Formats: sequence, C-alpha cells, structure tokens
Amino acid sequence: MDRLKVLCFAGTYGLALVCELARLVVRSSFRWYLTVGLTSLGWLVQTVYLANLALKDQVFLPVTTAFESVMVLAWIVAFIGLYFMLHWPRQVAVGIFVLPLVLGLVVVAGWFVPRESDWLEEGMMAFWGTVHGIFLLGGAVCTCVAFAAGLMYLAQMRRLKSKRPARLGLTLPSLEQSERVNRGAITIAFPLLTFGLLIGMILSVKTRSLGPEMAFTLSWTDPKVVSALGMWLVFAALLHARFRPALRGRSVMVLTIVAFAFLVFTWIGIEALRLPTAHGAARTAGGRP
Amino acid sequence: MRLLAVGVDHRSAPAGVREALAFDEPKYTRGLEALAQTFPGNELVILSTCNRVEIYLAGSPESVPDAEALGDFLGDFHGIRSELFAGHLVNYHDEGAVGHLFRVAASLESLVLGEGQILGQVREAYRAAVERKTIGPVFHTVFQTALRVGKTVRERTGMNQGKVSVASVAVDLAREVFDTFADKTVLVIGAGKMGDLTLQHLKALNPGRILVTNRNPERAEAAATRWNAQVVPFDRLGQALIEADLVVSTTAAAEPVVGFDQYVRVQRARRNRLSLILDIAIPRDFDPRIGDLDQVTLYHVDDLRAQADQNRLRRQKGVDPALLIIERETAACCALVRHQQAAGALLQQLGNHADQLRQRELTALFATHPNLSEADREAIAHMAMRLQNQFLHHPRAAVRSAVTESHDDHPHPILSAVRHLFGLGDYPPPSSLKKTT
Repeated sequence: MDRLKVLCFAGTYGLALVCELARLVVRSSFRWYLTVGLTSLGWLVQTVYLANLALKDQVFLPVTTAFESVMVLAWIVAFIGLYFMLHWPRQVAVGIFVLPLVLGLVVVAGWFVPRESDWLEEGMMAFWGTVHGIFLLGGAVCTCVAFAAGLMYLAQMRRLKSKRPARLGLTLPSLEQSERVNRGAITIAFPLLTFGLLIGMILSVKTRSLGPEMAFTLSWTDPKVVSALGMWLVFAALLHARFRPALRGRSVMVLTIVAFAFLVFTWIGIEALRLPTAHGAARTAGGRP
Repeated sequence: MRLLAVGVDHRSAPAGVREALAFDEPKYTRGLEALAQTFPGNELVILSTCNRVEIYLAGSPESVPDAEALGDFLGDFHGIRSELFAGHLVNYHDEGAVGHLFRVAASLESLVLGEGQILGQVREAYRAAVERKTIGPVFHTVFQTALRVGKTVRERTGMNQGKVSVASVAVDLAREVFDTFADKTVLVIGAGKMGDLTLQHLKALNPGRILVTNRNPERAEAAATRWNAQVVPFDRLGQALIEADLVVSTTAAAEPVVGFDQYVRVQRARRNRLSLILDIAIPRDFDPRIGDLDQVTLYHVDDLRAQADQNRLRRQKGVDPALLIIERETAACCALVRHQQAAGALLQQLGNHADQLRQRELTALFATHPNLSEADREAIAHMAMRLQNQFLHHPRAAVRSAVTESHDDHPHPILSAVRHLFGLGDYPPPSSLKKTT
C-alpha cells in the first residue's frame, strides 16, 4: 500500500519526464505548461506524503530512516528543479537533467532502501543525531544540484566543441551559468558535509565512550565511514580546484560527478546492497559489522 | 464580401521599385487616409517593410476596387508613372489574400526564411490601422488570426531557431558560452569587413568593454572611434588577450597571429576563465589546437558558415509543415469570416424586422388613442423599445456564440432556427471567398 503511494508521485514525475523529453519532437508552449504542471503535481503529492510521515513520526522533518532521508532529498531536489524550470527561459531543458535524478532517488528509496531503523538514542544524542542528518541532507541537496549543473556544462561544452548547431528543442544553459550554479552548490555543500561528518564522528566517539555494552558502535573500517570519508576528500579536492585555475571547467565537472557517485554509494548504495554497517539509519539493514 | 491584397515584394520587384512605393513614416498616415478617401466603405491595412509594400482591402464586391485601380492609386500617391511598376505588382484575392498574409506573418515569404521581424511588422500595421479606424470586423479576424498563425508556425516548426547569417550565429554562440556581458571584454584583432559586421551584432549584447588592436594604428583608431572602443597597441596583444573574454579576429596575416603555446600561457594568466574566440580571418589567426583547450571555445569562419547553412537547411525543412498549418488555418479563418458575415446580416435583418413590427404597432396604437399626450407617447415608445431589446437579447447572444462554434461551411443550426422562428425567410446565398491568386 505504501509503495502504491510512492508510485503515485513517482508516476507523476515519470509523466513529467516524458513530457520534458517530448520537447525534442513537440514544439508547443502547452508541452512546457504540462511538464511544469505535472512536476508541481508530483511535488505536491510528495509533500503530502512526507507531511503524513512527519505526523506519524511526530517530527518536523522525516529523516530518521535512510528511506525517509532519500525521499526528503528527492523532494528538495524536485523543488529546486521546479524553481529553475520557472526561473530560466522555457527553452532551457532543465527537466531533462533534474527529473531523472528525482525519479531515480524516489524509485531507489521506495524499492531498494530499508524503511526501518532501530534508532535508540534519546535526549541530546537524538538532537545531535538529527542535526548531523540535516547537515548531511543539505550537503546532499547541493551535491545533486552541482551534479545536474555539471552534466549540463559537459553536454554544452561537448556540443560547442563538436561545432554542431543546437538540437531543436534542446537548449542548454550557457557554460557560465552552469559553472556558476555548480560552483555555488559546491561551496555550500562542503561546509555542510564537513560539519555533518564532524558531528557524526563526535557522536560515534561519544557512543564508544559509553562503554562496550553499547550495541552499535561505528568502527573506522565501517563501509559507511570509509565511503563518507572518500566523499569528503573528493569535495575537498573540488574546493581546492576552485583555487587552482588549471582545474577549472571540465575537470571540476568530472570531479563533481565522482562526488555524486560517492554520495549515492554512501547514502543509498550501502543500504541497497545491505552491506554490514553499524551506522544509525542503516543498522537493521546490515546488522552489526 | 471580397478581399484583395496588392503589392510588391523582394521577389517581384527590385529594391528601387520597393523604395519608390514604400509608405515610410511621414507617408504612412497620409497613405491610409488617401486610400480611405479614394476607396470608401472598405477595410484597409498597409504593410510596408524593407522587403514588401502591400495594401490589403476588404469590403463588399461593389466597393472593393480591382488591382489596376489600386496600382493607379499607388502611382498617383507616390507621384510615379504606373507603367514603371505595374509589371511588378502581385495581387491576391479572397482566400488567396488571407493565405498570403498568413505566409507573410509566418515569414515564409521573407527574404530570410524564419526571420522574426516580420511578425512585429504585421502587428504594427494592424495596430496602425486600428488606431486610424480603417479596419472593421473582417480584418480584425484576419489579422488577429495571422498573428496567431505566425506564432504557431514558429513554435511548431522551430523555423525561428538557429540563425542563418555568420554574424548572428556568432552572437548565438556568445550567448551559449556567457550568461552576462556587462562584465565581459571583447577584443577585436584587425579591422576586416566581416569583423565589423560581427562586432555590430555583438554590440547588441552590451559588452562591458571593447578593445581594438591592429598592426596599423590609424585603422585601429578609426575602428575604435566607430565602436566607441579602446585602442590597444599591437605589441601588447598578449596582455589584451589576457583581459579579453571574447575575441574576434579578422586580420589579413598569412601566418597565425596567436600560436598554441602562447595561448596556453594566456589562458593560465586568465586563471582558465571561459573564453570564446571567433576567428573570422582567412587564413586562420589562431592555431586550431587552441580549440582543444579546456574552457576555450574556438570557432573559425568556416564553422560559423557551416552552422548557418545547417540552420538554413533546418528552416527549409519546416516549410512543408508550416504550409499545412497555414492551409488549415486559412480555410478556418475564411469560414469564420463567412459565418461572421452571415450572422451580421441575420442580426441586422432581425433588428429591422423587429423595428418594423414595433413601429407598425405603435402607429396603430397612437391612431386609436389620439388623446395621448406627447409624454405618454414617448413613455409607451420607450417601453416598446425596451421590450423589443429584452425579447431579442437571447436570440442575438445565441447567434453571436453560434458564429464562434461554427466549424465548417454550413451555417450553424441556430442561425437557421432564428430565421425560421422569426419568419425572416430563407438563408441567403453564401458570400464567396474564392481561392484565387
């Protein structure tokens, strides 16, 4: 029944994507209205779904399980995509890059990510756990935006280098615009991820100090920890690239894609592959390492 | 009802004839007024652009003149002998005139297929005619539909996409690389004609700064004055390249002016910012390997020309779908005009019939009551008029809405029903809008 609800907005996003792809053959302003309308409808249905989850969990933002946090991530990315669809000229094919991302996140969350978590902490630990989750969620949103902008940049650069005229109906933002969005998103993502991971590490050390009787303590070799560290290092490299002129442009965009791959693996891959991890949101998936 | 379009365009007449017949601003208002005086009782629109001068008329078969009379008018108005241009005049009648206007609005008749300016010019001609009250219900329908068709054709066929001149392709390229131009510097190397033309287009983007450099300082100075730019000595070309985001190169040098290694250094000094180089020179001014550098987009004049040709070909492919849209819309528009005419005639007949009945009854009443005061008579006449209007309100509204719902050549059933119910006689033969060119 719950998957049926997810299917409702996933299907609406899917239809919006079909409408967006139709821009290659259908040249009518009605198609744009339909795409924006369907995306808005999908987003509204998802908002109601998430509000229902929040009411059920008695929380402001439902991010206590991996499933919920990926759903919230997809919801925010869809909102940002919708903003760009309305803000940028109609000819710009924002949806082609954003809607598959949103749809992918929703489908992966709905069908591959575990929905339960035995989140045991209470009081201050629970509070800082939520702060840790929200910081990482913010970082993930920025990474998704940087990833979409990076793809747009690479597609536009590839076309310009090939010296072919733009395909009818497939207008992309200028290189400068994509670069600016990518740079802005990375700049915001890095501190968010850094603070999120730092809070996570402090929480882990704190749990460890409570004694060996604590059932779930994260080790440094935990796949979640290793992968998150890898992701942070890629982001550090990305930020470094901002101050290294030689690394501007294509290299930065490729690094953004690598960072996104790390994010997907850390956040979703480990959960979906049921790798053994003692990380809070996924404990029940893999059990104790 | 008859429609007539008479005029000259870039296909039928040389530029000299078009210029002689043009209704530019001082002549435009006088022209419309003179037309309205010479051919009263007609709806009139003048469309006058660089590539065409056309007069559109609509009216009853008796009032619409023939093409020769319009030709004579043009000769008299512009003070030139009609024999000088009569052979260049083209005329379209009825449905042909509507179809021609739609093709013009869709830019199928333009010198540059798919250009966007003509739609604005048709809109302007329509607006001017509305302002000067030389337009009526027929041309309101026809011109409003033409504007819609022009927009639809562009949207559905993509005919307006992709520029077809080298200079405008360059501007499109600049827009694909850069988002804003107020903070950008344009560098022009050399002072060729092509560079001048490209810069003329790029100037429309309002770049923050324009630098000009040339081996000949006098030519550089002249170009800088022309473009309100800053002159950079040619020996400081390296520094100018570092400052420039967009480079237009158009020298006549036999060897490349900028080599690969030199530009690698330039790009490093620019901190690898985005740059666009338009190498319009033959032979090339920039080493083609520069185009492989990250963050650098290098287009040679041949690349720009190839893209313009591809865009032209693409627009050409849109012609057949555009003609299909126009054919369908022309038929629908002419049917609508016919229905509007029929409905207008019916409403007039209905009003006259009701007026006759009212007048007859009032005359009879006043004859049988001669003692009624003038005030009573006025009150009774006023009441009868209000009663008539109230009775006819719904039938009139139904006839008007039936016009918009009619989709074919047959009269809407409501029109026949109103005729039958009010005893207005048989349906008159439909006014013809023949398909003649």
